[in-house]
Order: sequence, then C-alpha cells, then structure tokens
Amino acid sequence: MRTGKEKKSGRRFGRRPLVLLTVLLALAAATPARAHKVMVFAWISGNQVHTESKFSGGRRVKAGKIEVFDQDGKLLLTGTTDDQGKYNFPLPAAKELKIVLTAGMGHRGEWRVSREEIKAARAEASTGRAAKPADGGGEIAPAADSRPAAAPAMSADQPAAVVTLSRRELRQLLDQALDRKLEPVIRMLTEAREHRPSLTDILGGIGYIIGLVGLAAYLRQRQKKE
Amino acid sequence: MHISEGVLSGPVLLSGMALAAAGTGIGIKKLDFDHLAEAGILSAAFFVASLIHVPIGPSSVHLLLNGIIGLLLGWAAFPSIMVALFLQAIFFQFGGLTTLGVNTVVMALPGVVCYYLFAPLLWKKKPVAVGAAFACGFLAVLGSALLLGGALYFSEKNFLEVATLAVMAHLPVMIIEGIITAFCLEFLKKVNPEILPARAGRPPVTGN
Repeated sequence: MRTGKEKKSGRRFGRRPLVLLTVLLALAAATPARAHKVMVFAWISGNQVHTESKFSGGRRVKAGKIEVFDQDGKLLLTGTTDDQGKYNFPLPAAKELKIVLTAGMGHRGEWRVSREEIKAARAEASTGRAAKPADGGGEIAPAADSRPAAAPAMSADQPAAVVTLSRRELRQLLDQALDRKLEPVIRMLTEAREHRPSLTDILGGIGYIIGLVGLAAYLRQRQKKE
Repeated sequence: MHISEGVLSGPVLLSGMALAAAGTGIGIKKLDFDHLAEAGILSAAFFVASLIHVPIGPSSVHLLLNGIIGLLLGWAAFPSIMVALFLQAIFFQFGGLTTLGVNTVVMALPGVVCYYLFAPLLWKKKPVAVGAAFACGFLAVLGSALLLGGALYFSEKNFLEVATLAVMAHLPVMIIEGIITAFCLEFLKKVNPEILPARAGRPPVTGN
C-alpha cells in the first residue's frame, strides 16, 4: 500500500478528469433521457383487448412475449407483439387480467386490467352484440328481433333519405366513434403514466452518492482518530 | 442489462444477494480512505451511464462502464456499483430492489475479473496497454452479458439462446466501451497516473 503522503501529492489535480467524465456523461444522459425498462399498456375496446409494449423512450418492443393471466394467476393465453409492439386478443372470460410482457434479457413489464374495466367492457360488448343484426348502418332489418318494436314504425314515418337509428345502433356507432377518437387520448394518458428519468432524478441520485461518500469519509475519519 | 423484478426465481435472487453482499463486504474492506472520493465519482458515472442508450438490436442497451470502474477500483467496484444500482432502481425503476443482488453481481464481477486480468498490463508498452484497456472495456460487458444469460438460465432454461441474444445485443456496447475505456486510460495516464492501479513494481492500489 502506498503511503498517504505519496498519494496526496500525486492527486492534487487528481479527480478532475473523473469529475469531468461524470459531468459529461450526465449532460449526455440528460438530453435523450431514456429509461431502461419495458412497459406494457392494455385497454379494452369492444370485445378485444389491445396491448402495446414499448421500452420507455418510445421504442416498440418487437416480438416480445405477452402472457395473460386471470385473477388466480392462471395462464390464459400467450402471444407475441408485432412490429408496432402491439398484440390484440379477444377478451377472455376472466374477472381480472394481468398482462405480463417479457422482452428478453430480463426485461419484464406488467399491466393489470381491473375488474370494473372488464365489467364495463363486457356490458358494452353485450349491448353491441345484441344490436349486431342491424349492423348495416341505418338499414332496416325486419327479421331482427333485437330491434325495438317502435323502430320500424318510426322509420316508416320518415322520408327515405333520413337514416333512422335505433337506440342500440346509435350507441354502437357512438361507441365505435368514441373508441376511434379516444384511442390516441388513452394512449397519451398511458404514456403520461410512464415515468421518465428527469434531470431532478439524475441530480438527486448523484447527490445521494456524494452524501454517501461524505458519510463514509466521516466514519473513516472517526475511525482514524480513535 | 438490468434484470426486472419478477423474472428470476427465489434461489437465484438469494444467491445473487449473498454473492453481492460478499463482494460488497470485500470491497468496503479494501476501499481505503484515499479512494473514497474516487469510488463515489465512479459510482455516479455508472449511475448516469445507464441512461445513455444504444438503440441497436432487438432490445435497447446502454453503457455500463463496468470495465473501467473495475479497473480503477478493483473490489471496491462492488459497493460503487451496488449503490448506483440501488439509486437507479429507486429513481429510474431500472431493475428492481429484489434483483439488486443479482444485478450487482452481473455488472460488478466482470469488472473485478478485468481488474485482475488487465491492471498488470496497463504500464506495459503503449500498444499492449491500449489493447488491454480496450479488452477490459470489451470483456467486462461480455462477462456481464454472459452472467445475465446465466442468471436467466434458471428461469428461462435456455442459456444459449439468452446468452447469445445478450451478447449480440451488447456487441455494439462492448466495442464502444472498449474504445471509451482505452481513451479514458490513456487520458488518465497522462493527466493523473496516480489514480491507476499497479504502476510497475507497485502493489495494487486497493491492496490492503
């Protein structure tokens, strides 16, 4: 072991290069702040569950493995994400869903679809399905028993050019339109939930390290004195 | 390179923690007063380096700097890297607290191995020294990728596949790290040679 004196003399300018290196790294890191983790989001629309997987920072997870578990941890289905990081599957008959993404090399993300969300989606899907026979826009389907009795009578009173819709059809169309319009909003919200490392985080971490070094130095100093 | 929570099985996590604790113990014991600041600075460098991503391959990989940290600190790389990983887990949600042990071993151990392999070569002729520095940066990442494959083997049961994937994905990082390590060491040699270990004829810096 070298003596302290020798070290001190050689170290007067000693740590500057290292400090410089750290500062440069910190600056370089601050610009494209990307986290090293993967995330999977899922939302239900109709009776499909849509999932989207990405590394935070926005890179899509291609060919990631998606596993879907129910509330008891039973594996329901597995799938692979496409080039857009997407994977869709029909809503399974489960009360709750846990969607696990494995992106290789120890990357893993999780998303829960809550009981309420599934219940709401299922209620919606069932009304949607009931209205299905009349799916051709405003066209009247006389044999469709799902149509309310009032509808044909009403449409008979209207001029032919006016498209009439039953309550269910209207709701279905609205749902479809809302799904389409809201999808980017939902995606934005899920992305907002993503926690990106901010400068505060980076500086905070460095601060902790400096604090720890200080603490260690203090303890060693006391040891030395004793 | 950070293994997330819930990927590994209990025994792997526990043995990772045990190994990391042992390494950290040795590291703290060998870390003398005069190297505290150095360890802290390198720890901070590691902490931020993981934010610099190289978006190549099927995954996203980032700089590790474990080669140069190992080379400069020896066993003290363990506590340095563990502290940085802990903070990364808390601040960035990289890896996780349960996988802290495994991740520490995966990243610190190759650094320590590189310390023993390459520290003696640093003060040889320039081509040898530069080569050794490059190899240090390169092999430390390679070692980490292999350890990662090893850790995942117990949960995924396909070591070769995982390890190949990890090595392929980190190939660009290995090359970049090799170059960074080589440049850093040449720079440190000129500016601040005392910081480097094992100057010819001297015992290693972190020797007790």
